[in-house]
Amino acid sequence: MDALQSNRRQFLKLLGTAAVIGATAPEALAKGKTTQLTILHTNDVHSRLDPFPMDAGRNAGKGGVARRMSLIERIRQEQKNVLLFDAGDIFQGTPYFNLYNGEPEILAMKRLGYDAGTIGNHDFDGGIDNMRDQFAKAGFPFVIANYDFRNTVMDGRTQPSTIFTKDGIRIGVFGLGIQPAGLIPKAMYKETKYLDPIEIGNDVAARLRTNEKCDYVICLSHLGFKYNDDTVSDNVLAAKTRNIDLIIGGHTHTFLEAPVTVNNLDGKPTVINQVGFGGIYLGRIDLTFERGKATSTGQAVEVK
Amino acid sequence: MTPRRFSPVLLLLAVLTACQPSYHLAQQAANRIQVDSTTATADPGMASFLQPYRQKLDQTMNAVLARSTGPIEKSQPNGPLNDILTDALLQQASQKYGKPIDVSHLNFGGIRNNLPAGNITIGSIYEVMPFDNKLVILTLTGDMLMQLLNHFAEGNKLVVGGLRATIHDGKVQSATLTNGRAIQPSETYTVAMSDYVAEGGDNAGFLKNPVKREDINYLIRDALIDYFRQRGQSGQPITPTTDGRITIE
Repeated sequence: MDALQSNRRQFLKLLGTAAVIGATAPEALAKGKTTQLTILHTNDVHSRLDPFPMDAGRNAGKGGVARRMSLIERIRQEQKNVLLFDAGDIFQGTPYFNLYNGEPEILAMKRLGYDAGTIGNHDFDGGIDNMRDQFAKAGFPFVIANYDFRNTVMDGRTQPSTIFTKDGIRIGVFGLGIQPAGLIPKAMYKETKYLDPIEIGNDVAARLRTNEKCDYVICLSHLGFKYNDDTVSDNVLAAKTRNIDLIIGGHTHTFLEAPVTVNNLDGKPTVINQVGFGGIYLGRIDLTFERGKATSTGQAVEVK
Repeated sequence: MTPRRFSPVLLLLAVLTACQPSYHLAQQAANRIQVDSTTATADPGMASFLQPYRQKLDQTMNAVLARSTGPIEKSQPNGPLNDILTDALLQQASQKYGKPIDVSHLNFGGIRNNLPAGNITIGSIYEVMPFDNKLVILTLTGDMLMQLLNHFAEGNKLVVGGLRATIHDGKVQSATLTNGRAIQPSETYTVAMSDYVAEGGDNAGFLKNPVKREDINYLIRDALIDYFRQRGQSGQPITPTTDGRITIE
């Protein structure tokens, strides 16, 4: 309870800091024309339905879907507009997956009320037929723009992107998956075709921004946070594209204490966040939108 | 005065303006919330949903195989878990193969959890090795073996049994088999490893054409379960230790 209050205080403090940085904030608050949106997110939960076992490990007792449920329900009571996303690798990592092939993971996510997810490499671990069977139970869409599933049983079971409207704000969400070759056994991903995430990401984000008039564009990515070589990652994606406001990442199990910001091709900020693995953390990003066009200073909103 | 015509440029501008989003971001704040007993209680509905799944799981997973005096953890370049897992695979694969095997190999990223202090259960082994990967025995030339070692030495991710190696700047400087054989470029050596890596996983595509590949139809996880059960039957608890088989220069 104390920790929750402390979290809340921390959050309010951060919001306060952000308000000072956001140049348009004081007028916006005075006019009262702002709308709040809370994004909650997980990545690489890896079948961690129960908290980590109470052994001497550093994660002992952390995580678990039952606690995540109370936490999310509490935030939904406090905030009107909440979206919940996952960035892939739902499957594999505890015996739940070996025994039940991912069914309880997906059904738990349905109960948690996920709004969308993308596909991680380990979501192929039970084979692509199993992916089809389990994802069919989800009740939320899987978005992935750079996997061509046409010659597989997953054909028609995913979509490149989806759009949410909250109090008039349009939020476009699309997904990007990692190169399967060399990472996933071919027998698992079969005829899935991998398409260039930068080219596809740029196209889909532009379509969401321009054609679909989205006010905010989110990429659920399983590309990984950053690599030592030039392998495409969230950092590379952010720098080489336009129109992506937020990348919710996964794969590299990166514990970011706070999101990082990378300037995109237009010199505008793309925020990247990732919250480790195993459901140890729930990521939370609180956004305040203002009606109308941004003023020139309003663009450089900093995440603290 | 002639009526002014709309220039195409102005028209385009008008269209673009009409497509401008109607909201813009004014502020943002982020916070990560640790999910533990201090931040949230367990939701009863979710807990009862999980109960039947957990019950059957516990029956299978709670069987104790062995005991350890401390946590057995993976680490780079050496770790007690790296050593015990590859030693276990070398022993179990040799038994199953019916002949001694020179080297065992695991990909660092494929070791998915540490082993706990105290009771090591079947569930603990599933946590370490959740994948249904099988052991395969590759016969490799000395050259190919060195290529394998160098590939995984990059980033100090070399996890091996039956071998000691010195690495400098991600390259193997020297490698010695603990069975006394010297690594000669054109002689052949047997390596027990995951079918995942043998089939080119972890970017090891160069392993697709070995001198010989033999499947021994033995899941890595089953090999580990068998090994830890034997260790438990000895009555002696495991003391986590590493012999420093990898040296970084």
